[in-house]
Amino acid sequence: MKKILLSVLMATAVFANIQVDTTYATFGEIVKKVGGDKVDVVVLGASKYDPHFITPKPSLLAKLRNADLLVINGAGLEIGWLPPLIKSANNANIQSGAKGFLDISHFIPLIDKPTTVSRGFGDIHAEGNPHYITDPHMVPTIAKVIAKKLSMIDEANAGKYNTNLAKFLKEWDVYLKNFDAKMLTCKDKKVIQYHELFNYFLKEYGFTSYGNIEPLPGVSPSSKHTIETLNTMEKNGVKIILQDVYHERKTADFIAAKSGARVVILPHEMGAVSGTDTLETFYGDIASQICK
Amino acid sequence: MKKIVSLSMLASAILFADSDLDQLKLQIQQLQEKVQNIEKQNAQKEQASIDAKVANDTSSSFSQAAYLPDIGLVLDMSALSRNIDNTAYLTQAMPGFLQSDPNGDFPFNKDNGFNLNYAEVSMHSVVDPYFDVFAVFHIHPTAIEVEEAYVRTRALPYSLLVKAGKFKSDFGRINAKHQHSWAFSSQPLIYAGLFGPDGISDPGVQLQWIAPTNTYLMAGVEAMQGTNTQSFGNVERNNLYIGYLKSSVDLTDDISVLGGISGVTGKNPNGNTNVYGADLTVRAELGNYSSLVWQSEYLKRDMDNNMTSGLTKDKQAGVYSELIYNIDENWATGARYDRIVQNDVGDMSLYAPAGVNTNNLDRTTVMLQYKPFEFSRLRLEYTDDRSKIIDGQRKNIQEVMLNLTIEAGSHGAHAY
Repeated sequence: MKKILLSVLMATAVFANIQVDTTYATFGEIVKKVGGDKVDVVVLGASKYDPHFITPKPSLLAKLRNADLLVINGAGLEIGWLPPLIKSANNANIQSGAKGFLDISHFIPLIDKPTTVSRGFGDIHAEGNPHYITDPHMVPTIAKVIAKKLSMIDEANAGKYNTNLAKFLKEWDVYLKNFDAKMLTCKDKKVIQYHELFNYFLKEYGFTSYGNIEPLPGVSPSSKHTIETLNTMEKNGVKIILQDVYHERKTADFIAAKSGARVVILPHEMGAVSGTDTLETFYGDIASQICK
Repeated sequence: MKKIVSLSMLASAILFADSDLDQLKLQIQQLQEKVQNIEKQNAQKEQASIDAKVANDTSSSFSQAAYLPDIGLVLDMSALSRNIDNTAYLTQAMPGFLQSDPNGDFPFNKDNGFNLNYAEVSMHSVVDPYFDVFAVFHIHPTAIEVEEAYVRTRALPYSLLVKAGKFKSDFGRINAKHQHSWAFSSQPLIYAGLFGPDGISDPGVQLQWIAPTNTYLMAGVEAMQGTNTQSFGNVERNNLYIGYLKSSVDLTDDISVLGGISGVTGKNPNGNTNVYGADLTVRAELGNYSSLVWQSEYLKRDMDNNMTSGLTKDKQAGVYSELIYNIDENWATGARYDRIVQNDVGDMSLYAPAGVNTNNLDRTTVMLQYKPFEFSRLRLEYTDDRSKIIDGQRKNIQEVMLNLTIEAGSHGAHAY
């Protein structure tokens, strides 16, 4: 009897998947690609919400309590909600600096790093723009970093992770070639945004952003700033307004009506708008909506 | 003929090769000279930099700037208008709970007119791989107080956590929260009545455990000094023991429920004091930045008194229930109702002269809040407090207040 129990215990220990928590859905999907059937993925923040302000529900503590690895976006994106959860989840694995904590932003060349940092400029991120996930060219780096981390945490399956990674990188390379070719057909490259969510994508494909609907990051639109934005758009012939799913739409619609520009509602994360539940459709949706 | 041609070709090849070789030699020589020059220059530069550095070394060997703790500053102030004059206000008593004490502690919004309630400096730092440290220095206009100063473990196994130092107990729902994160400026009546403005806050130790279940379930026990004279205060030895159980479920992705039961047992100069609590919070996300939060708590106290006959145990209880509507990023509004539901005390004459009505103690508070940005908050609050005795008479307190709170520096995010 004892032997059976022991072997059952050992079996669960050997075959137990590792639990990987990610703060947002796109990271979760990449972990699934690399981890395959060896990992269980838990996504903490729903894609329909502002990634800066996820409600720190206590149920998230139960999800963090059991995690072997926590993958975060970093660059300050989670600072408004995640630290108290990490503090109260009583999980030594995932404390900042522990083996099971992975901040992807440390591996990404961040852009828009402010030279001076003050909240007088709004909710700026001292480390640079944290929204690198909107650029499909970041995916290979993210996948490589995750594969390396998974291999360190779960050495027994390192071979499996590397095989999965190689397969995924190959597929993604093909996808990116197609994607880049399609983006070449894109003609109108002048946009404004609500919040600087798409700077990495815009930079990758040679777009110019002529400003933001919010006067400062995290500050609600003012009529004065909206008039200025309208003037800038008229002067430069900007006809595309990039709107996200979680900010109010009134201002964008107003600007569109006055300027004749079109509002495109883009997903900032996989699954933020319907029909973007895979990596391919997430990036595909951004591309096809901008280049309509 | 052939031979001669090939021979001469060979000769010329050698000849050419010879001149090639010469050229290569020359190039090597030139390169060597260049390398020597560079090495010489480098050596000179190195020497120069050593000379300069030795003569004037301004870099610090022991700088620890990178290890500075996170420092935050919270400022809280108000402009207030009340139907009671300032001197009379200080004589207030709450029947069964608070005796009139003009020298008592009124830390928040005491005066008609303008109030600077506090400047609160908080510090947080990772000590080492095993401990975090957290301290809050609460600075009143007249005193500096260590509101909290504790260490907590980072790396205990089995989902355990130990906290030690002076801290706010996790008893109940609102006790551990700092004043600036409450939905209203005033403390719930029952908390003010049982524990006073600081709540249960003492030196002590805490042990918490999160169950390995998919549903959040947390159990905690604490041992504290028990200096709080309103309910405890017999500190010949440490006397306070606290236990609680909290659990939370998500009914849907957007509706979450948090419930808890708490108990505390301690010693007062006349005997034992037991306080029991139950709390329930329901939060519904209505969209981005918009939510409805309903939070209620019930607290009950059984406390030995010094009566030798009649009622030898004071039995008291109270509830509050608040509903907050977060409208958008900037605006929120809410209402709270407080009521004392049981107030059986041995000697009511401690609180009110005979003949003064001490029943039906309750309070209504409503507020409208505007946050220009995440870190600043303006709150307009109206209070109708029907629970106080002023100058020996039952008198309702009505006040309108505009409250400004700012959180600057590296202020940590607030919990649920």
